[in-house]
Amino acid sequence: MSKRRPFTWPIATTAVALFAFPLAALLVQAFGDEWRYPALLPQRFGLRGIHAAVASGAAGEALTNSAEIALATTALALVLGWPAARALAERRLRRPGPLLLLLALPLLVPTYATGTGLTTWFIQLGLADSVAGLVLAHLTVVLPYVALLLLPAFGPGLRDLEEMAMTTGAGPLRRLIHVSVPASRATVAAAALLGFLVSWSQYGLSLSVGGGIPTLPIVMLPFVRNDPEVAAAIALFFLAPVFLALLAASRAGRRVL
Amino acid sequence: MIRRDRLVTVALVAPATTALLLLFAGGLLGAVRQSLEPGIVGGLGGSAWSALYHDPSFRDAVRFSAEIALEATALSALIAILAALALRRHGTFARSLFALPVPVPHLLVAVIAVLWLAPGGLGDRLLGGLPVSLVGDRAGIGIVLVYVYKEAPFLALLVLAAMGRSLAEREEAAAVHGADWPQRLRWVVWPTIRKPLAAGCLIVGAFAFGAFEVPLVVGPSYPPTIATYALQATQGDLIRGQSLAAAALLVAAAASFALAAAVIRLGRGLGE
Repeated sequence: MSKRRPFTWPIATTAVALFAFPLAALLVQAFGDEWRYPALLPQRFGLRGIHAAVASGAAGEALTNSAEIALATTALALVLGWPAARALAERRLRRPGPLLLLLALPLLVPTYATGTGLTTWFIQLGLADSVAGLVLAHLTVVLPYVALLLLPAFGPGLRDLEEMAMTTGAGPLRRLIHVSVPASRATVAAAALLGFLVSWSQYGLSLSVGGGIPTLPIVMLPFVRNDPEVAAAIALFFLAPVFLALLAASRAGRRVL
Repeated sequence: MIRRDRLVTVALVAPATTALLLLFAGGLLGAVRQSLEPGIVGGLGGSAWSALYHDPSFRDAVRFSAEIALEATALSALIAILAALALRRHGTFARSLFALPVPVPHLLVAVIAVLWLAPGGLGDRLLGGLPVSLVGDRAGIGIVLVYVYKEAPFLALLVLAAMGRSLAEREEAAAVHGADWPQRLRWVVWPTIRKPLAAGCLIVGAFAFGAFEVPLVVGPSYPPTIATYALQATQGDLIRGQSLAAAALLVAAAASFALAAAVIRLGRGLGE
């Protein structure tokens, strides 16, 4: 049983080639200034796509907006999600079902639906087309992901550490900063990373609530069919945090997978 | 002491619960209110629902969205099971490469699909012409392919996590008792993976049913999906487009609720 089945290698190789290889083509497209049909590689490489991406604001304003919104949303989600995850993981609730349902439903309902509804309130509150409005809107989906991912952080080991810190006289805030968060840093990092990526790639909520605020997905979409080189160049900016996530995941994966 | 514990618990869950109730439930309520708005020229509230009910293109959108969601979920689940069975004895490197699309945003995968599958794209260049049109095709094959590319690795990761290390030992025990490979698959592997797979399929199905960045980039101009129908409504009908869009999106939301309820019931059945 422990021997490797010989037929799994071709399947694994095919799966890897099918799923990993297409991503590499983005790089070629982003720098292919001249790429006439039916050549397999561009006739001329250059930076037209990157320059156009910068000129469109994708590399400046949209990139900054996306990063700001994703960072703020993730931070807020961690602050709100940490205590809720703790209550769930420590089985403090007699009936956890309703809270779990409240966390699961925003992940199932189309974000465009929630966003369209939020817009009607945000217009009245002066939050539509604002960074604050986008942060709140993104929180609808980022908070459930973060809270659910934080659940494994609260095991008996953490409780023991916190009790030890308490016996040495550490108050709640010091325990949180010096014991709880460092002890569960891998889980917190994974939750923060996924929360960031969910906000970073959000399209439906951004379009409905903050169509006037340029974010990377909003800026990229019009280029996809009109100028694939610019779309591919913007996609590289869009991919940057994803690569960081993959690097972090592969490091963590040595232990987890 | 018990009272204090209860207060602490309430204090722990209150911030997240309040935020989600205000934002999510408030958002859906806002959509209901929007769908009942009479519009600029007045008229009865609820006319958007009536217009939606009588619009054949909305019926096409519902059918098209359901077909895409069903095909994408079924294909992703099948590939995920096969991939997990193949990859479970391989190391982190192969698994990480296979999982590469998981953190890649859907919109980016759609861009990659256009790059490869559009007329004049890389697939066309490599094969000297694609046998079928996959970008903008009325059957939505391109959309399904994008979802499978993105979701099959996600489901495979869930299945691999469920398999864990103990599965091999239990399979070995079954083999000692004379179970052949199909029997082990049916009686050992399937019971281990079916619950996380069902939960994953629910997420994938609900997302594929209601998302719109992929259909917007890869899909046809007709039929629309529910989400693209809603977007077109806001762009094409300035008077009651917003109400129509909100009503259409609420139908998609209701379908997600129904799907979740069905999977929870199924999960209970599987658990018995």
